[in-house]
Amino acid sequence: MFDPKGETRSHYAPLHSRIDTLGAAALADRQRTLERSFLLQGITFTVYGAETTTERIIPTDLFPRIIPAAEWARVEAGLIQRLRALNLFLADIYGPQKILSDGVIPRDLVLGAPSYRREMQHLFVPHGAFVNVCGSDLIRQPSGEFVVLEDNLRVPSGVSYMLANREASRRTFPEVFRESRVRAVERYPDLLLATLKSMAGDWRPLPQVVVLTPGVYNSAYYEHAYLARLMGVPLVEGRDLVVHDGIVYMRTTSGLRRVDVIYRRVDDDFIDPLAFRRDSSLGVAGLFNAYRAGSVVICNAPGTGVADDKAVYAYVPAIIRYYLAEDAILNNVETYLCREPAQLDHVLANLDKLVVKAVGASGGYGMLVGPHASAVERERFAAALRADPDNYIAQPTIQLSTAPCLVEGRMEPRHVDLRPFILSAEKVVVTPGALTRVALKRGSLVVNSSQGGGSKDTWVLAEDGGDPA
Amino acid sequence: MMLARVADSLYWAGRYVERAEHVSRLAEVMLNATLDRSDAARHVAAITRGALGDPGGSGDLLDLARAMSLDRDNPSSVLMSLARARENARQVRDQITSETWERLNILYLRAVSARASASFAADPLAFLGEIVSDLHLFKGAADSTMSHGEGWRFMVTGVFLERAQLIARLLRASFGGGLAGAPEEPLALVTVLRMACALEPYLRTYTADLNARFILEFLMFDEDFPRSIRYATDQIEQHLNHLARGRELGRQDPQRLAGRLKARLAFADIGEVEGSGAGQILAAVEAESKAIHEAMYEAFVAYPLETRLPAA
Repeated sequence: MFDPKGETRSHYAPLHSRIDTLGAAALADRQRTLERSFLLQGITFTVYGAETTTERIIPTDLFPRIIPAAEWARVEAGLIQRLRALNLFLADIYGPQKILSDGVIPRDLVLGAPSYRREMQHLFVPHGAFVNVCGSDLIRQPSGEFVVLEDNLRVPSGVSYMLANREASRRTFPEVFRESRVRAVERYPDLLLATLKSMAGDWRPLPQVVVLTPGVYNSAYYEHAYLARLMGVPLVEGRDLVVHDGIVYMRTTSGLRRVDVIYRRVDDDFIDPLAFRRDSSLGVAGLFNAYRAGSVVICNAPGTGVADDKAVYAYVPAIIRYYLAEDAILNNVETYLCREPAQLDHVLANLDKLVVKAVGASGGYGMLVGPHASAVERERFAAALRADPDNYIAQPTIQLSTAPCLVEGRMEPRHVDLRPFILSAEKVVVTPGALTRVALKRGSLVVNSSQGGGSKDTWVLAEDGGDPA
Repeated sequence: MMLARVADSLYWAGRYVERAEHVSRLAEVMLNATLDRSDAARHVAAITRGALGDPGGSGDLLDLARAMSLDRDNPSSVLMSLARARENARQVRDQITSETWERLNILYLRAVSARASASFAADPLAFLGEIVSDLHLFKGAADSTMSHGEGWRFMVTGVFLERAQLIARLLRASFGGGLAGAPEEPLALVTVLRMACALEPYLRTYTADLNARFILEFLMFDEDFPRSIRYATDQIEQHLNHLARGRELGRQDPQRLAGRLKARLAFADIGEVEGSGAGQILAAVEAESKAIHEAMYEAFVAYPLETRLPAA
């Protein structure tokens, strides 16, 4: 909101003056109203504790974050470029594997990754769109430049919070919202439906789309139900589906109905006990065979996780150059691959300055934040690194940018990242908005909702609403 | 067309909502009617216990009301019914309008909140009364915001199937021994009507002439009162006919059972009941409601797959 000199950045001016007029009491009041409305709507996620399980709302901050048109244009172009390249990469490694033969990426790094699915080899994916829904995590560097921290290509979540936050911020700051010419995010559900339909449109004129959820105990269940409701398609669980003669059906009150496109919010491992994990009860036996036979489309395709693997991540700029012959518009965060001995030595020597992440893990688990860790924790991680270097990468402690948040009635800076949502089938479309995740503990850098993070709305301004500068 | 699991959840949401409302009302009316220690009050306590399926029970009535309302170990308490209704609704959250869902979610959150037991203690009548009127809001929201298609019909069938059984059980507890032994104290009779939420409609039909025969006639056979057993069975039959339209459901189809139950109510009259006692026909209502429930489950939810494969 503020520039380095402490002046209000111009695109924030209307919001800032409105906040001043409202005053602390009115703001706290609106914050309470907002939280209550989330709770009543059931916009909650489930926290699994040692003994109790509770439903909580993701703490939501009142103040929207504002991104001017010019900044967004660059982000949008960068995200489109990146997802195009990653889809080409997936089509290649599950096809001719040219990029591996050409030695751009070490073969064992891709084929040896736990998220690589040999079962996907030579499988036809419509439009080459392996990733239909992507939710990349971006951070803003001190220079103001957005860089990509992580590509989430498996089953990214959070889009329902983007939509709910928008609903809330429009109610909280209606005047500023009108004046600011904020671009709409509300079309996301119908764009998602169009994307999913187009994955089967070529051979099924009116494809039956369903959302596959692990069920009501999943922490993102609210979102699954929300998207199904707004798209007007059935929300199914594994037990609702059966495969017969290579065709997927759902059990309805009037018998079996054919299913054409499955927007699955279940991880690869669990979608089919016959193909993947045998102990999974969330999936559908025979689903993967039906998929291989081409009678159903699974979105995102199984096996996309190999392209958001934290080690493959380091090669994304090279991937973009290889397939598109372009330089990456959005840069990566500098990343050390511990599989390279020289880089491992560097990481071990600088453990107190680096963030170390396990390659396969996500959601803020299996991670060491060097500067905040105790000597004992660092030693434990150093041992793990030496034992299994392939499993780790390290990055400099990233200074996440901050945005003002309402904390106990006062405006205070908190660290934030940015998760825009990108849809891809025939075309790649970036929704002009995002989920801004907030690390609510002062000084904390962890924004994951499972670890005490919150969120806020993100306003992307239309062309002439941005910085005059 | 709707998922079998979804239809089942909506049906159960309807049943639990109706149960929560009925038990709240029983507890509220019982507390209100037993403030003194008259004979009528003893009678009311016995009726309540009978309607809950525990005719031999004893103990303090305020404790009983608390157990009926907030006891987590009592599977038919209001709290547990609300929790189950909400859990079922949450599993089919995409099928229920937000307006409907929010009514139920508010109720649930209030009933499980840490303050619930204090607000019950402070004013149990107000606490229970509020739950009843909020459940009316839920039904109103469902009726006026949900599309009256398949899903809604499953939910409403759940409501009426539960209602037919609950009212039958209440009447059995009140008049099951035949009209000769029926309570005569006006207070006990008014209480039975209140427990069925029927006092005002009854007075408009029969004036303030309170006697067991009329009450039984009203709650069993009235065609217009939404809590009479005949009305409930009419509704069940109507909704099941819609749901079964265009489907091959086999011989034990639920709508045939519902038609039979409806006919039984339509062709019986109070004279017949006076002769043989109401107990027999009320027991039949309960048994046949259970049979309809099982037939619905067989026909719509747990059907054998090989019978429903699409034609190749």
